[in-house]
Amino acid sequence: MHKESRIRDPLIDGNKTFHDITVEVAYPVEGKANKYWWTLFGLSVILMLWGFGCIAYTIGTGIGVWGLNKTINWAWDITNFVWWIGIGHAGTLISAVLLLFRQKWRMAINRSAEAMTIFGVIQAGLFPLIHMGRPWLAYWVFPIPNQYGSLWVNFNSPLLWDVFAISTYLTVSTVFWYIGLIPDFAMIRDRVNEKINPLKKKLYSLLSFGWSGRAKHWQRFEEVSLVLAGLATPLVFSVHSIVSMDFATSVIPGWHTTIFPPYFVLGALFSGFAMVETLLIIVRKVVNMEAYITIKHIEYMNVIILFTGSMVGIAYITELFMAWYSGVEFEQYAFLNRATGPYWWAYASMMTCNVVIPQLYWIYKIRTNIIATFVLSIFVNIGMWFERFVIIVTSLHRDFLPSSWTMFSPTFVDIGIFLGTIGFFFVLFLMYARTFPVVAQAEMKTILKSSGSEFKKIDNEQ
Amino acid sequence: MNNNIVYALYDDDDILLTSVKKMKEKNLNVKEVYTPFPVHGLDKVLELKETRMAITAFIYGCIGLTFGSVLIYYIMISGEYKSWPMNIGGKPNFTFFKNLPSFVPVLFELTVMFAGHLMSLTYFYRCKLFPGSQETSPDPRTTDDKFLVEIEHENFKEVEKFLKTTGAIEIKKKDDK
Amino acid sequence: MFQLNKKLHLTSISMIAIGLLSLVIGFMSDAHSTWTNLLFNNYFFLGISLFAVVFVAIQYVAEAGWSTVFKRVPEAMMAFLPYAGIIMLFIVIAAVMHWNHIYHWLEPGIMDPNEPNYDKIIAGKEPYLNAPFFLIRSIVYVIIWIYCARKLRQLSIKGDLEGDIGERSFFKGLRVSGWFLVFFAVTSCTAAWDWIMSIDTHWFSTLFGWYIFSEWATIGFTTILLIALFLQKTGYLPDLNDSHIHDLGKFIFAFSIVWTYMWFSQFMLIWYANIPEEVTYFMQRIEQSNYSFLFWFSMVINFVVPLIMLMSRDAKRNKTILVIVSTVILIGHWINSYLLFAPGTLFEHGHLGLLEVGVFLGFIGLFIQIVSRTLSKTSVEIKSHPYLDESKHLHT
Repeated sequence: MHKESRIRDPLIDGNKTFHDITVEVAYPVEGKANKYWWTLFGLSVILMLWGFGCIAYTIGTGIGVWGLNKTINWAWDITNFVWWIGIGHAGTLISAVLLLFRQKWRMAINRSAEAMTIFGVIQAGLFPLIHMGRPWLAYWVFPIPNQYGSLWVNFNSPLLWDVFAISTYLTVSTVFWYIGLIPDFAMIRDRVNEKINPLKKKLYSLLSFGWSGRAKHWQRFEEVSLVLAGLATPLVFSVHSIVSMDFATSVIPGWHTTIFPPYFVLGALFSGFAMVETLLIIVRKVVNMEAYITIKHIEYMNVIILFTGSMVGIAYITELFMAWYSGVEFEQYAFLNRATGPYWWAYASMMTCNVVIPQLYWIYKIRTNIIATFVLSIFVNIGMWFERFVIIVTSLHRDFLPSSWTMFSPTFVDIGIFLGTIGFFFVLFLMYARTFPVVAQAEMKTILKSSGSEFKKIDNEQ
Repeated sequence: MNNNIVYALYDDDDILLTSVKKMKEKNLNVKEVYTPFPVHGLDKVLELKETRMAITAFIYGCIGLTFGSVLIYYIMISGEYKSWPMNIGGKPNFTFFKNLPSFVPVLFELTVMFAGHLMSLTYFYRCKLFPGSQETSPDPRTTDDKFLVEIEHENFKEVEKFLKTTGAIEIKKKDDK
Repeated sequence: MFQLNKKLHLTSISMIAIGLLSLVIGFMSDAHSTWTNLLFNNYFFLGISLFAVVFVAIQYVAEAGWSTVFKRVPEAMMAFLPYAGIIMLFIVIAAVMHWNHIYHWLEPGIMDPNEPNYDKIIAGKEPYLNAPFFLIRSIVYVIIWIYCARKLRQLSIKGDLEGDIGERSFFKGLRVSGWFLVFFAVTSCTAAWDWIMSIDTHWFSTLFGWYIFSEWATIGFTTILLIALFLQKTGYLPDLNDSHIHDLGKFIFAFSIVWTYMWFSQFMLIWYANIPEEVTYFMQRIEQSNYSFLFWFSMVINFVVPLIMLMSRDAKRNKTILVIVSTVILIGHWINSYLLFAPGTLFEHGHLGLLEVGVFLGFIGLFIQIVSRTLSKTSVEIKSHPYLDESKHLHT
């Protein structure tokens, strides 16, 4: 029943038993945090508070405290929004698409990747919210009957599509994540001693929804996971496509191009996987998950980064080529200005970080090296931020009317809010890493016999 | 209460699967199996009915699609919106179908939202999973690495002897807990 | 060893005859529309055979084990690539020699400001759209695609002879696949621009290459499934079980949706922005009565039929439903292929008629002949492959 080709590398290192998986997954939850955790957490909290301060300042004073101007009326905020949403995509890809493709290696990383998705989307959601200026009226974006007359939201607007897409994405991902978490919470619940730690027992009992692992429940669990994966796959495509349509439905040169939906999706997966790597390379070290998140996992992720990075590269070249090929002079100028205008450095960083640097992953030694991977993943994160910046700002700053051409520079508030979201993200992620089972242990146990290194050795000898 | 219940504990999923098969062959009444992870093929051996979760998702999705269409039709085409006609990109709101391309994204999202959430709620309801629900597994180790089979028996000695041959590591009656 | 049964053999031969007859009648009555006819039918089968190479290559690089038992099916489909490639090159050479007028931008004088038919926008594209470069590109695509296909096929046969699990040939194939996919990723886009998009010379769409690829993938998977089902029915693939069929069904379902997604992205963005340069492309297809029905009809059946009929798990394991849906999709995409070419070459004169169907039948006949001949060269079953055991025990 556990047939697997011998040329496949093991996905679980060491001589593990089911019980070992339980103990090692529960360890970070049961143990005490080390000083690295506290240092990182402290730093993140400071950043987060600074960001919250900047947000409070923005709301108190008005959007004028940002660097936006009449020509560039969308810049830093939407760049961050798209960047965070993009990062969120890898989580759903790992848990949904790779589930449909029966990729066993997803089991070690899907939990953390999904957590990252949810925390990333929360950061993304902050930006449109504060850009409203009056966030307490945010509910106006929903189609609710109101007493001000027959005013409704406009379903022709891509911004409204975003409201639906992101709220669906955030809630459905959360439910998907939670359904997978229930059996693992139950595992932790059953390990907590009620006499020593009654509060913890109570908490995990509540979180685990009374899960007992009945055969019928597992049967439903598997079907529900599969259906949710089937729903989440088109969902994840739709969300970033709709984000891209915020730009692509317009008539701005550099924004209006048909490749945007799939290209944004690929770019999002690209940046999302980079962020997963950044996080997991730290996590596997800090909470001793090296046996489960192996070099092979990192290599697989690097291959996906190589693939999506190259596809994004093809999309860049396609855009550039089509701008010239179209014969439309505005199109041509927009791209010429992108590459050689005053923001050439942003374009150059984007090209270097997103297209050139990931090509290093063709080299086996680099894609199986942890330090190299960590460094490269940071480059990709930076590159993808610049990609959005390039698309948004360079297309706007020289518009159809040369007298209104101008430049954008962020204020300290812009930068503060962005740093604040990074802090907030890490606060959430670090808290998650201490209270949640970071590896989907129940699923992990199902592949132990086919992909555990000791089991594979025995199989191969036979 | 039926006290003729015996618990057999296993420590391997393959042994569990073959044992349950044997129990079924011996016409033992297997009441329930508790496992730490989904054991592939167990539902077939236990002759569980196929779950209908996917069908519910389909139905909920259809409801979501209908809801979305009605909502958009009411707001954009027929309802009160008429008093505020808007012309977006040369596309006034004449008919639902002429504007359909820009309604598709929201219709899709609503379909997924309904299907995903309502199916999950159905799942929680059917499995009686909610915060505060009590665990029913007789042995806490079944979320760790043990597999427990709950069997109804007539004659404890006989069943015990049989269960031992299948490779059970622990066998006990329900009452002597 | 596979052998085509008498009935099918005769049928396919007569189909080829019908195809040739249609071509002859076509060229004698209306040469211009017959060139379009030949081109779009050839494009359709080029897509199927080229996707077979992509499929084989993806199975290597993705370490996919499930598909190994029916590996010979896409390999046999690859054998059609040289034929489709040569016909494609023939059409391209004919276009360059002005034997046909499919590519508007090849008209003499169109890029010369002193000529009456000078077109400024087309002249601006001269560095890319000029006869020598066009010809060179086409030859390079076809040669390298065929080379990679042959290499993969040879390595696969070698692996079978290698014994044990055929590890050495497998890893060699992995390397070839990687290079092929890199080359394909670029050339599938440029080929789509060159051969298809440049027909509507003024029009441009950045998504076009990926849109064409999604269509190739859909018809490619459909054909793989149909051949696999046929081989299973005739007893040549005893290891092919319901799980393999189910997986292929999933891919057809998924790629039908991907195709719709690409179609929608391209259509909706152009429809929404309503820029004259771009929107003319769809106006030609929607406003003209000879295309508008086909345009909506093909879109709807390519999306709705697989969506509704293949959604449930049982349907993807039901061979009757699969065959019906596959046939519908193939016809739907065939109509859609017609709409990629005809409105730009035939304008209001184009109509999908018996001659088009005749040439289509001719291609099907030739395809059956070539594929069955290739299948009969080696055993249909794989003997040694690293993932063979996994594939045989596929159970989902």
